[in-house]
Amino acid sequence: MSDNAGDKKDVWQGTLALMVLKTLQAMGPLHGYGVARRIEQTSGDLLAVNYGTLYPALLKLEQEGYISSEWGVSDKNRKAKYYKLTRAGRKQLSKEEHEWEQTTAILARFLAPGEGRS
Amino acid sequence: MRRLRAWLIRVGGLFNKGLRDREFSAEMDSHLQFHIDDNLRAGMSPAQARREAMMKLGGLEQTKEAYRDRASLPILETFFQDLRFAVRMLHKNPGVTFVVVLTLALGVGANTAIFGLVNGVLLQRLPVPAPEQIVALVIQSSGSPLGALGFSYPQFAEFRQQTAPFCEVFGQALGRVNLVADGHTDVLAVSGVSSNYFSALGVQPGLGRLILPGEGERPGEPAILVLGYSYWQKRFGGDPGIIGKQVRVDGKPVTIVGVVPKEFRGQFSTFEMDAYLPLSSVYPGQSPNGFWSSRDLRLMLSLGRLKPGVTYPQAQSGFDVVSHRLAAQYPVTDKDVSVHVMDERLSRPIPYANNAFIMFSGLFLILAALVLLLACTNIANILMARASVRQREMAIRAALGGARARLVRQMLTETTLTALLGGISGVLLGAWLSRLIGAIHLSGFPLQLGFGFDWRVFAYALATVFFTALFAGLSPALRATRADVNTVLHQGGRTDASGAARHKVRGDLMAAQVAGSLMLLVVAGLFVRSLRAVEHMDLGFDPDQLLNVALDPSINNYDETQTKEFYRALEAKISALPGVQSASLASAVPIGYGRSKDSVYVEGGHVAPGQLAPGVFFNSVDPHYFETLRIPLLLGRAFADADSETSPRVAIINETMGKHFWPSENPIGKRFSITSDSGPFVEVVGVARDGKYRTLSEDSLPYFYLPLAQNFTPARTLQIRSSLPPHSLVPEIQGEILALDSNAPIVEIQTMRESLSGALGYFLFRLGASLAAAMGLLGLLLAVVGVYGVVSYAATQRTQELGIRMALGASPRQILALLLKQGVRLVAAGLLFGLAGAWALTRAMSFMLFGVSPSDPVTYIAAGALLSGITLLACWLPARRAMRVDPIVALRYE
Repeated sequence: MSDNAGDKKDVWQGTLALMVLKTLQAMGPLHGYGVARRIEQTSGDLLAVNYGTLYPALLKLEQEGYISSEWGVSDKNRKAKYYKLTRAGRKQLSKEEHEWEQTTAILARFLAPGEGRS
Repeated sequence: MRRLRAWLIRVGGLFNKGLRDREFSAEMDSHLQFHIDDNLRAGMSPAQARREAMMKLGGLEQTKEAYRDRASLPILETFFQDLRFAVRMLHKNPGVTFVVVLTLALGVGANTAIFGLVNGVLLQRLPVPAPEQIVALVIQSSGSPLGALGFSYPQFAEFRQQTAPFCEVFGQALGRVNLVADGHTDVLAVSGVSSNYFSALGVQPGLGRLILPGEGERPGEPAILVLGYSYWQKRFGGDPGIIGKQVRVDGKPVTIVGVVPKEFRGQFSTFEMDAYLPLSSVYPGQSPNGFWSSRDLRLMLSLGRLKPGVTYPQAQSGFDVVSHRLAAQYPVTDKDVSVHVMDERLSRPIPYANNAFIMFSGLFLILAALVLLLACTNIANILMARASVRQREMAIRAALGGARARLVRQMLTETTLTALLGGISGVLLGAWLSRLIGAIHLSGFPLQLGFGFDWRVFAYALATVFFTALFAGLSPALRATRADVNTVLHQGGRTDASGAARHKVRGDLMAAQVAGSLMLLVVAGLFVRSLRAVEHMDLGFDPDQLLNVALDPSINNYDETQTKEFYRALEAKISALPGVQSASLASAVPIGYGRSKDSVYVEGGHVAPGQLAPGVFFNSVDPHYFETLRIPLLLGRAFADADSETSPRVAIINETMGKHFWPSENPIGKRFSITSDSGPFVEVVGVARDGKYRTLSEDSLPYFYLPLAQNFTPARTLQIRSSLPPHSLVPEIQGEILALDSNAPIVEIQTMRESLSGALGYFLFRLGASLAAAMGLLGLLLAVVGVYGVVSYAATQRTQELGIRMALGASPRQILALLLKQGVRLVAAGLLFGLAGAWALTRAMSFMLFGVSPSDPVTYIAAGALLSGITLLACWLPARRAMRVDPIVALRYE
């Protein structure tokens, strides 16, 4: 927590799962590269980290049963592993979205007067 | 749940590594391709597109590593690596592995066997529902040792009634009966049980029914019998049609109504009851001084089942209230009587709360632990020797980046694997050993030394295995991995030149081994000497060349006249057989189960009111008894044929009884009564030498003899002294008995020596001596192997040094002295510590020993001499070999 790099990483890891789930919900079945690009585009530069770190996260979500994977063929006829949300994943996503909204709402209220003062 | 699922998948991930890696590579390839395609579309050159994609993906190997870690469990994965490596190492050194596994198997085997026995006899609860509620009720009268007396039936019934709100009291009186079925007689160990015995225990019938609440506590009820499982199997072949069968018990008809289930062996963990009878079937008669009404006949052993939620202190105070009430009500008999509520297991083997069994178990567990320690020390020595060999390997691995914790872990994995192998062999060995001990059969006593093979034994064995792995493995592992790569590699293959510290550790271990082994030897020696003392002790009679034939004509419904005639005819015929020197009849055999006790009222010595006349054991014998048993008469005469029913009543007393009742007087001509203050009296006509009457370890006991002619008992033992081997007479004697009655009322035939080997005789001494001797020998063996190993290893390590010394002119004798000096010093140190340890260990043993003190100097000296002799030999052999080494060969060594 003391250095900036650590901060960034923590944010990345804590929220990556949620971002992956949300991306898959928005885009439907998608391969790893697609998920990485989408997250990068949506979040801007803030989370521009190595794409490679995405894969262990995908594996973890799959092990937990929130997503499933299947080899398929892309529109340009390339073989790729496609990930899609499972029912449990959808439930988990709505739960985490809700929690996240609550957290941000609380934090927003908490931080608002401080902003005014500074 | 999700976590568990993920974890399980990761465990599964250990097994499909190849497939997973290939698939992930394919996924990475496809990822790169997508990215390159995009980059090309954005206008990059192919080389640039590829480069950018690779950079964006990050380090491919790190990604793969992270992915792999997530896909399976890294800890487990390295564990499996270690395990595979360990298996390879063990396989590579089969000799070392074999020795280590064998050593450990012996250590763990001894422990498992002893612990299994202790567990079966002492730790396992009764096989009944809610066994934790069962308590032993041990009754104590002030002045008498705890547990030395039982409850009288009236007392038992009062306690049962008055403590009913918080504890259901139930009990039994132990007995031995003759059972005749299908023309064959057995002597059975039976429980005469209170009517609520089975219901309170919660035992369900194995067959038929058990004794029901309310049944059999009034004399005169129809006699019934419930068989013990083993006896039912052994005697009736497990015949389910046995229910309803009529048999005869002590001559009276009894109906078999049921069989207890297999797991229920009665309340004693050391022997299994043959049968259970209601109290009214054991004590059918009603008399004022009999079982049902006498408060002085204390035959009942009682247990209780606490009501749910009742604690021991609550129960104890409840019993105290009742004890006080009874003491006030019956001051003569129940004064100072208290009842102790205790865990049923603490009252084993029988509710004698003297802790003898617990002490015995403790001692043997300590001995077993010592054996394990010796085994561990040997293993540690072997591993340490191997560790120095492997120091190079470890140093190189450390230099290549192996973390020390990782290397230690790997070596510990190896040790644990070996320990597990040894442990498994040890448990098997232990199970076999205790089955061997459990199979010991005693005639006339349903011994049952169960091997309680349950989770406790496994846990104990497992604990010993891990203890070994840590004790024997950790230190060598730490040492091997501490090595500095530079030093090790510069030693040019010579290992551990600066190993003074290690030599010290090995020396300490060796001294500890000698010490442990000496402790084992001393204990074994004490037990063996105690056994020898018991076997050669003066019993007061001559037990050799003596045959005992137990008879009971009441089995065949003889009346008194028929019985007397039968015995008279039989004794006459047997005495006339060739080889028979003398034959006699007695109602009891010394150190046997039959015994009678009666109150003795000395003529003129009034028993004060509120006092009880002292009880004295006695035997009824015929005129030839003292001649046959060779019991010398010190004063007066033996019984004669003239002492008949019609002549004045007489008795012969032993020395102790004479001194007790008529101190400093000649007891001949004195009179006493066994009935009351006012007679009828019997006159003392002789004084016999003291002997052993009930147990081998008893102190001298007052005892007297009455003539059988004046004190009729139907069950008698015909004792025959012969110049021939006693067994050779058996067919002829059986023939004579059959000639008198084709339904031979023979209960048992055995020699006096065989009878003495029974549970009351030598048996426990022999069991203790054999167990202790086995462990002593095992300890000695392990110590010798250990000492030999250490010294010969040290000699090999110093080969080069010795070569130089010899080349410089040291004589072989000096070399030998050099090598021996260290060994001798260590052995001497070990002996000193061992003596101190043995002295401390044997303090608690005095009550287990007979005729030998726990500090018996002969034992200590003999054990010390034996051990130092053998260990010095073990030092000398490798030293001599080193001395004979050719200096040229020694200098070229390595």
